[in-house]
Amino acid sequence: MSMDDSKSPSRLGRLFAARGMGQVVTAAFGLVILCVVFGILNPIFFSGRNVGNLLRQIAPILLIGIGQSYVLITGNIDLSIGSVVGMSCMVSATLMTMGMNPWVAVAVTLICCLIVGVLNGCLVAKFNLPPFIATLGTMTIARGIAQIVNNNYNTDSIGPAAEGFRNFFYYGRLGGLFNTIWISLALWLVFNFILSRTRLGRHIYATGSNKEAARLSGVDVVASTTAAYMVSAVCSCVVGLIVCATSGMGTMDAGNMYELYAVAASVIGGVSTLGGQGLLLGTVMGASIWGVLQNGLQFAGAPVAIRNIVIGVIVVVSVLLDVVVRSEKRRRKRERKEEAKG
Amino acid sequence: MSEYIVELEGVGKSFAGIRALDDVSLNLKSGEVLALLGENGAGKSTLMKILGGIYTRDTGIIRVFGEEIDEMTPKRAKELGIAVIHQELNMCTHLTVAENIFLGRELLRSGMLDDREMNIRAAEVLSRLNIDIAPDTVVGTLPISKQQMVEIAKALSTNARILVMDEPTSALTSKEINDLFHIIRSLRDQGCGIIYISHRLEELQHIVDRVTILRDGKYIATTRFCDTTMAEIISNMVGREIKEKFPRVETPLGRTILRVKGLNAGRQVRNVSFELREGEIVGVAGLMGAGRTEMTRALFGADPKDGGEILLDERPLRIEKPMDAIEAGIVLVPEDRKKDGLCTKLSIRENVALPNLDILKGALSTVNSRGEREMVERTVKNLSIRLSNAEQNADSLSGGNQQKLVVGKWLAREFRVVLFDEPTRGIDVAAKAEIYHLMNDLKTRGLGVLFISSEMPEILGIADRIIVMCDGRVTGEFPAGTATQEKILECATRFEDKLGLAAGD
Ligand SMILES: Nc1ncnc2c1ncn2[C@@H]1O[C@H](COP(=O)(O)OP(=O)(O)OP(=O)(O)O)[C@@H](O)[C@H]1O
Ligand SMILES: [Mg+2]
Repeated sequence: MSMDDSKSPSRLGRLFAARGMGQVVTAAFGLVILCVVFGILNPIFFSGRNVGNLLRQIAPILLIGIGQSYVLITGNIDLSIGSVVGMSCMVSATLMTMGMNPWVAVAVTLICCLIVGVLNGCLVAKFNLPPFIATLGTMTIARGIAQIVNNNYNTDSIGPAAEGFRNFFYYGRLGGLFNTIWISLALWLVFNFILSRTRLGRHIYATGSNKEAARLSGVDVVASTTAAYMVSAVCSCVVGLIVCATSGMGTMDAGNMYELYAVAASVIGGVSTLGGQGLLLGTVMGASIWGVLQNGLQFAGAPVAIRNIVIGVIVVVSVLLDVVVRSEKRRRKRERKEEAKG
Repeated sequence: MSEYIVELEGVGKSFAGIRALDDVSLNLKSGEVLALLGENGAGKSTLMKILGGIYTRDTGIIRVFGEEIDEMTPKRAKELGIAVIHQELNMCTHLTVAENIFLGRELLRSGMLDDREMNIRAAEVLSRLNIDIAPDTVVGTLPISKQQMVEIAKALSTNARILVMDEPTSALTSKEINDLFHIIRSLRDQGCGIIYISHRLEELQHIVDRVTILRDGKYIATTRFCDTTMAEIISNMVGREIKEKFPRVETPLGRTILRVKGLNAGRQVRNVSFELREGEIVGVAGLMGAGRTEMTRALFGADPKDGGEILLDERPLRIEKPMDAIEAGIVLVPEDRKKDGLCTKLSIRENVALPNLDILKGALSTVNSRGEREMVERTVKNLSIRLSNAEQNADSLSGGNQQKLVVGKWLAREFRVVLFDEPTRGIDVAAKAEIYHLMNDLKTRGLGVLFISSEMPEILGIADRIIVMCDGRVTGEFPAGTATQEKILECATRFEDKLGLAAGD
């Protein structure tokens, strides 16, 4: 009779246990509630114009969230995200002000960012540096590069030659939505596909869940970790380009603190900072909650300071909720374990 | 091609200057089960890790199917058809059963993961093994014994021709062990070669054809199982004879030390009452889910209690956290050494000192390093822990020596009651005997000893009084003299009636 409990959980239970679907649903509920509250407080919240703006605010947070989620799922962290955003912004802007074709500049920028990603991956996976330290180093380096490319000045305007670039990354629209939104959506689809449907994605989860077990099963954990850092670098690069296109110039402190916003978007969406668990669907929820709070509180007239405090509280509470749920799970697991042995 | 599918010749391996293996040879034929035996730290796991490509050998030759292999890697081993089930569970707990089984060799359909196919194939493997688990269950939600079965399924699903099982049964239930033996026999009949490592010597008769014995990293002997006796095997392993399997000392019963009344903690501990007296070892027997571990955890303050009274030497105790229990003189030797027993990334010295820092306090609350060193030396000597140096990480010890370390760190301090939860799991015959002697010694010193075990012969052989638990309740109690396996089993299966009628107890 006591064996009944050690049987496999129900189908639905299994579905929800996998990858943390439960937290995604919780976050989705939270998002709906927030939208309803802000909608009631301020009917303009749901106006077409605001929704468009809101989505455009969410897009970059979603992108860096995707990158950080990849890295968190491998059981690591990427602190260099914000600096890579800044580096991407400054490198591309500097090249464009020097008269380089914008698309060539974009390609060069992408390569620079990928180098940082590969470096992160090598330091962490190959040389076993603690990810916090390794990416703290590259964070400082990338910020330094952002400062040095234009001799410690923000750049001038990237000029009329870059109108096509600005149109593509910022103010252009397709089907009524800003391009920025389409770009992040497209990248989300690609990276979500990779994470959920390909062998690389599976290896990323396995690496984060139990690196040694993955290695013994023939998974190349160095490759999977490096790939995750490269995804993060690509996402940060695109955000840097968006920032550049938005302001029409390069700013040295672009992307400041973004690495932590990315952590927030990930964990609100249920990505575990301990690795092995999380869904990019959750990152969408996390980034949206972030954006809705920013936007809604702004609408409600709350000053920046209050916005910061509210968002900080949300981050802590969402993770706290998760911890409480998990410790209950752990308790049940132990009970089952005791049952398993006679 | 020679008659052997695996030949290891003169294999040597050192860790930081300490010889773990010295000129060891081993041969495996196809269609046989070879038992690899030896004390804790004899080098069994190390040898198998060399065969599996996880460690590289310093010297020696490896031949697989007659082919000499220069550089063995996990990947190469897999290609050669070698599958190793390691002593420590190695699963990605966040992934599902099927995902774990196919990890590293996922099935693809037009470049995408083919989860449907993998689930179907995993279900086939599981049903061949008689394991009742859905392939899309997340591994972390399974009990340890089921996880172990998944690990076995994973190894078998590779269609390996050479299978290494490093203590596969230490976490399994008796039904699962039977299923496993069934599988082993059928694999053997299909021509696979199986190397089987276990400290449960009584298992061997069911499956084993030949035995190879190691001692202190050296090769001792290989014999056919039917040509040898258990006594011979043991003396080869230990280097001397073990006279009594279950040494027993008689001591007069004294005062009651610990009295537990109506202890309740969740579903797993319901109204448990018992007492512990001077001069006796109380054994706790039971089946799956009997709540024994839960009971000790609640008693020790590791889990919250819902109610109940605890009296130590007739004084009521309030135990809300482990520190309360330790201060009162109750210590717990937990069953899961990796998770609850040791800080595996700390050194042996630090592990021994950790619960005893109050004793080792020097001036200004620093740790008295001389006292610490002496304590470690004493512990290592008393329990004959096999180590190269007390500064090595606890997880570099062999499995059985880790277990001894968990016991040792508590025995280094003064206490009144010790709760042993499966103290002999995964340790060799000689070390088992040492633990029994130790318990007897504690008993004669008038300390309270509570001893949980799932091995019937052991509990019948050592305990003076046996409590049987089932479904979180105490369902029986026998003095050692009158207890039998049948009686214990009868009580251990006395589940509550589904209608809610209490079973007569
Ligand atoms: N990674 C390591 N670093 C240092 N020493 C090690 C390492 N692995 C094993 N050893 C040492 O090698 C010796 C053999 O260990 P091994 O794990 O092979 O023993 P075993 O026969 O499997 O024992 P058990 O039955 O307890 O599992 C031990 O003395 C152990 O301390
Ligand atoms: Mg071993």
